[in-house]
Amino acid sequence: MLEIKDLHASVQGKEILKGLSLKVGAGEVHAIMGPNGAGKSTTSYALAGREGYDVTSGDVTFKGEDLLALKPEERAAKGIFLAFQYPLEIPGVSNLTFLKTAVNAQARLRGEPVLDAVQFLRAVRETAKLLNVSEDMLKRPLNVGFSGGEKKRNEVLQMALLKPSLAILDETDSGLDIDALKLVAEGVNKLRAPDRSFLVITHYQRLLDYIVPDYVHILAGGKIVRSGDKSLALRLEEQGYDALIGKAA
Amino acid sequence: MSSNTSLNHLLDVMAGRQEGTVPWLGALREEARTIFAGCGLPTRRVESWKYSDLSRALARAADGSSPTLPAPVLPGTHLALFENGVLNEEKSDLAQIGAVPLRRVLADPSTPFASKIGYVNPQKDHALLNLNTALMEDGLVLHVPAHTTLTTPLYIRFEWEGEEARAPEGRHLRLFILLDEDAEAAIIEAHSGTPGFSTIVTEVRLAPKARLKHIRLDRLGAAARQSAITLGELDTAASYKAFYLSEGGLFSRHEALLNLAEKDAQAELDGIYLVADGRHCDNTTVITHAGPDTASRQAFRGVLAGDSRGVYQGCVRVRPDAQGTDARQMSRTVLLSRQAEIAIKPELEILADNVKCSHGATSGELDTAALFFLRARGVPEAEARALLIEAFLGEVLESIESESLRACAAAAVAEWLSLHAGEIAHVE
Repeated sequence: MLEIKDLHASVQGKEILKGLSLKVGAGEVHAIMGPNGAGKSTTSYALAGREGYDVTSGDVTFKGEDLLALKPEERAAKGIFLAFQYPLEIPGVSNLTFLKTAVNAQARLRGEPVLDAVQFLRAVRETAKLLNVSEDMLKRPLNVGFSGGEKKRNEVLQMALLKPSLAILDETDSGLDIDALKLVAEGVNKLRAPDRSFLVITHYQRLLDYIVPDYVHILAGGKIVRSGDKSLALRLEEQGYDALIGKAA
Repeated sequence: MSSNTSLNHLLDVMAGRQEGTVPWLGALREEARTIFAGCGLPTRRVESWKYSDLSRALARAADGSSPTLPAPVLPGTHLALFENGVLNEEKSDLAQIGAVPLRRVLADPSTPFASKIGYVNPQKDHALLNLNTALMEDGLVLHVPAHTTLTTPLYIRFEWEGEEARAPEGRHLRLFILLDEDAEAAIIEAHSGTPGFSTIVTEVRLAPKARLKHIRLDRLGAAARQSAITLGELDTAASYKAFYLSEGGLFSRHEALLNLAEKDAQAELDGIYLVADGRHCDNTTVITHAGPDTASRQAFRGVLAGDSRGVYQGCVRVRPDAQGTDARQMSRTVLLSRQAEIAIKPELEILADNVKCSHGATSGELDTAALFFLRARGVPEAEARALLIEAFLGEVLESIESESLRACAAAAVAEWLSLHAGEIAHVE
């Protein structure tokens, strides 16, 4: 599904990723954990194609294709979904309009038929219900006045409608209390599927109690320094980054 | 306009138009011509013309070759059609609404409008206003009697095309709108095509409790040169509510000069300007609060592409007697390229002490984080930009109460975005 080879990336001329390598197979859930400044957000932005996150060397292939040659919208249409740490508020664009624009834009980029208004509304309402997203949240301007939990649930709603093959969750737990976290994790778990992979990026182990990963990687100094199964996250929680990264080094 | 839009040529034509006129018009023209002869066309040395160089724009030869958009068809309105500055009475529908061609009024020695035309919120030294007064030939007079509501809006369409649109002395039109006590009306002006040089002056006099809605849809061609002035004078509790949409031109300026003369008069101005590469668009407002408890609100939003230039000058004057004035002004601009330029000049001149006045102005690029968010959801860049711009303009569009007019303005915005979103994406 996704293969990252020796990825180097810089932000404003400063190298943040220094040789990141990672393979994610279909249907797998990988967690990337790391301390502040390890390059967690840079990894997610570099994969999604954000301007200003410059890949200086290395390769990323996604479904056998060179991901780095694609624009952000093309990556999205190919099946990459980035759930934002801080979802943007866009006044003046209703959530529904936004969802419809995104769903139809991806369909067009993939050469698939565009949903008509009735089909689209039905799909949104059904999915929104499953994810506890209220009618009011659909009508309001995108993320404006949403609580932290509502914003993240709205991200999951987008994920559910866009049906990506790789979802990157960038510190989805930040700003959430435990109840909100559970709701979001439940939503994500409903979307787990044999043809859908997840890259869960987080600082804390807590999220991984609810979204249980198949593999856990520790990111430090811009590369993966250790990999293991979910028990690695638990050990990290017990012993802290310093102890484990120290051991690795 | 060829190089012969010289001052001398203009003065000669003015002298010609004084000949054989009825006395009241002769006197009006004489005074206007005398003042204009003294000051000439405005130059950048005149403070309010600092950012809009009409003389420079007029120095170039008139060009009618740029493609233009057709004026919208608006069902449910009474049409007044001006072709190259001349009223086409056959295609117009004036009788039902009681509108009269200006030519007829100007030729009438005893018209009741003799002491009215040219007297709304007078601007003695305004060069272009004097030019218009000295040269005006065509236009319209609309008088709505007391306690009357015109349920059908008057749609005044100005179309400019071909050689006739480019007369060296230009074409100069006057609209005179008089609403008696408690009368109500709506007028829509649409400007399309490429005038070589035109001035359009709209005088609006509102008696106590009269209410006017005024919509301008200014979608001229790239080579158009037009300067328009709306003069307003509002009596007690009268209300003027306007929406101005402008796409600029080689030179395009609209001035709203309003006098809230008596208690509780109020003006609301919402404006959108969308300026493509190479165009110039100037929105200038001067609102005078002369009566107590008068209110004004202005919200202008601009989007500038390529190397276009926008101007927003908003002046609020509060006279000593205008206690209880509430004046608000907001101007926001999005610059889509590094070459685009906006000049913003808010001005407050407050001579009363119990007033609420505010102004604010912002300008900047589209939010890059929001743009990335949309693109990361699969929305192509041009479409994402268009969506953000539409959102930016949406609030102002929503101020248009009439659903059909709002749809018409929204369609103009969408059309502009579809033409320019692509070019926007690869500027920078």
